[in-house]
Amino acid sequence: MRLKSCRLTAGFWAITLAMFMAGVVMVFAYTPVEKTMGPVQKVFYLHLPVAINTFLACVVVFVASVGYLWKRTQAWDDLALAACKTAVLLCSVVLLTGMIWGRSAWGAWWTWSPRLTFSLLLWLLYVVYLVIRPAIESPQRRALVSAVYGLVAFLDVPLVYLSVKLMPQDIHPASIALEPQMKTTLLFWFLPVTLLNIGLIALGYAVQRKRTLIEQSRGKRSVHDTSTPLAGDAA
Amino acid sequence: MTPAIKQFVTLVGKDLRIEARSRQTLGLVCVLGVLILVVLGLGLGRETVRSGAASTAALWVAYLFGGVLTFEKTMAVERQDSALAGLLMAPVDRGVLYLAKLTSNLLLMAVLAVVVTLVGVLLLSFDLGAAPLGFIVIITLGMVGFASVGTLFAAAVSSTRLQGGLLALVIFPICLPLVIASTRMMVNLFETRVGEPASSLGGSGLAILIAFDAIYLVTSWLVFELLLEP
Amino acid sequence: MTQAPTMLANPAPVDRPQACDVQTQGLGKSIDGRLILDNITFTAQRCAITALLGPNGAGKSTLLHILATLTAHTTGTLTLFGKPVARRTADLRARIGMIGHQPMLYRDLTAMENLVFFGKLHGVANPRNRAKELLDRVALAHRSDDPAGTFSRGMVQRLSIARALVHEPTLLLADEPFAGLDLPSTYTIEALLTQLADEGATVVMTNHDVAQSLRLAKRVVVLRKGTVAWTGEADMGELERVQREILGT
Repeated sequence: MRLKSCRLTAGFWAITLAMFMAGVVMVFAYTPVEKTMGPVQKVFYLHLPVAINTFLACVVVFVASVGYLWKRTQAWDDLALAACKTAVLLCSVVLLTGMIWGRSAWGAWWTWSPRLTFSLLLWLLYVVYLVIRPAIESPQRRALVSAVYGLVAFLDVPLVYLSVKLMPQDIHPASIALEPQMKTTLLFWFLPVTLLNIGLIALGYAVQRKRTLIEQSRGKRSVHDTSTPLAGDAA
Repeated sequence: MTPAIKQFVTLVGKDLRIEARSRQTLGLVCVLGVLILVVLGLGLGRETVRSGAASTAALWVAYLFGGVLTFEKTMAVERQDSALAGLLMAPVDRGVLYLAKLTSNLLLMAVLAVVVTLVGVLLLSFDLGAAPLGFIVIITLGMVGFASVGTLFAAAVSSTRLQGGLLALVIFPICLPLVIASTRMMVNLFETRVGEPASSLGGSGLAILIAFDAIYLVTSWLVFELLLEP
Repeated sequence: MTQAPTMLANPAPVDRPQACDVQTQGLGKSIDGRLILDNITFTAQRCAITALLGPNGAGKSTLLHILATLTAHTTGTLTLFGKPVARRTADLRARIGMIGHQPMLYRDLTAMENLVFFGKLHGVANPRNRAKELLDRVALAHRSDDPAGTFSRGMVQRLSIARALVHEPTLLLADEPFAGLDLPSTYTIEALLTQLADEGATVVMTNHDVAQSLRLAKRVVVLRKGTVAWTGEADMGELERVQREILGT
């Protein structure tokens, strides 16, 4: 049983890696170089799928947070945390590739363009999820506050998206006409990136689950913790 | 009056009475707001600060930090001596507890806003007279949204013994749409008036403010209970 | 002979002193797979004090919070006033008073204001009169207009009891009511609790002092590691036995 799941995991990562290599080969051997942007345009094949997957990871955070509030089992919290870590990682990639793009298109690493700003605000929103957790001692309380934050933060995403559109737009994104090979490559890149997203969340979940179980068994040995939320401050 | 409204009035009255007696929140918050204006005024320099954009941004920074301190303080009153446990033992709907705390926070923030804005008019030559009505609408909508999120997370954070800074860390990223929308609208109101026809509030910004308020009022009202008694 | 002032404005009829307002059957509480309380079965009689004893972390406070309907139990049944508690219900809570580790008072409000405030929240008909009555009973009438923050530990605890009784509950839950009190205050609180029980209330308290509990209570329940280790009549003769049960030796 264990061996089987080990093999499955290894197979999954092998396929993901192979897909990535195939994607890289496609980018450099198959697709033509874009005329106005030059080779830097190729970063786009990574940028868009990762951006979409960032959003998917945020959806997982949201679902897991609601799951925790509903069921109150630590497993949901572990899933939310794993998804949030993945979301922040992917969002960092989006930010970096976006900055590389901006550097070559407009000559500046950072422009307050609505899309780039959106990525930055999204990144901040979910980084806060990660940094407030260690500040809360009780595991139940931590999971609860995180779940509420995960819920509230996800509701914020469309608002953030709409509000950045209000910002003054002095820079217009250079629209490029995608040639058929470019479209195929872009679509293909969704495969490895989505697999990576799923893999990272699953891996993070497995690691976190193990950690939680250790924490729980430790808590069991040190007699019963009676500090209920109400008496928590007194203790 | 229905029992719920009576309880609501009792709860808000209690908060105001405690504030009137101890004056621990308003004094602190208003001085902080004024300090922020002074620091920003000095930092930005005389010329920059006279532009509408800079002064409205400075005002918002003062409101936001003052607001966070208000939320922390009014919730600390409940956590001190576990008075909150006494409230929870009473047959009060948890939604009423939330709305009462939100109202108390908004009332205190209204005082803060008056003080800070007046000081802003004085120190930063903020031209309130250009569009007083629009200003009040934006500030009111902004404060309601900000306080609805702040009141919710104050309940979460104050029980974790880690208050200073943490609450701001949680609230600010969530309130960024609010800040962007309201500052954009304020800039529209107070900057573009030279030579141009009187500018309107800007429909989409207003829509975002209203949507923000509605979403977080309802969500917080529903979720608040979970943070009180897990 | 004038009638002695009573804590409960309408004392429950003392016709059925054996009635049990608190009954638990196989009650359990687990937080995320961790068992805090397991298979707790006990009853608390009307007109009597029931003492919950046990070492720190035995689950006494959690049990009290479950009885107060502030925390939900996960297994077994809890019956309050003859009705099984399924969901947390406000109408049951209206008949329960609670004293905790913490006074649950606002230190910036005066004793009077505190009581009037909680009275209003509970929908007491004439909160000011009720508050006066209670301040008289807990001997704080002379300090009724001083902020609770200026009170000594013993006075705070007395005010806390008055707060818990403001809505005339028939069940009083007391979590370590004697913690940190000096001797005179301890005696005052002892007398108050005993009088309440005599007037027909059900009193459930947790306590560390075994001898004191045996003296005051009618029944004793010893909790250890989340389960009932021993339960029986409170009798001074059982002192050593109860102490052994608490220590688990």
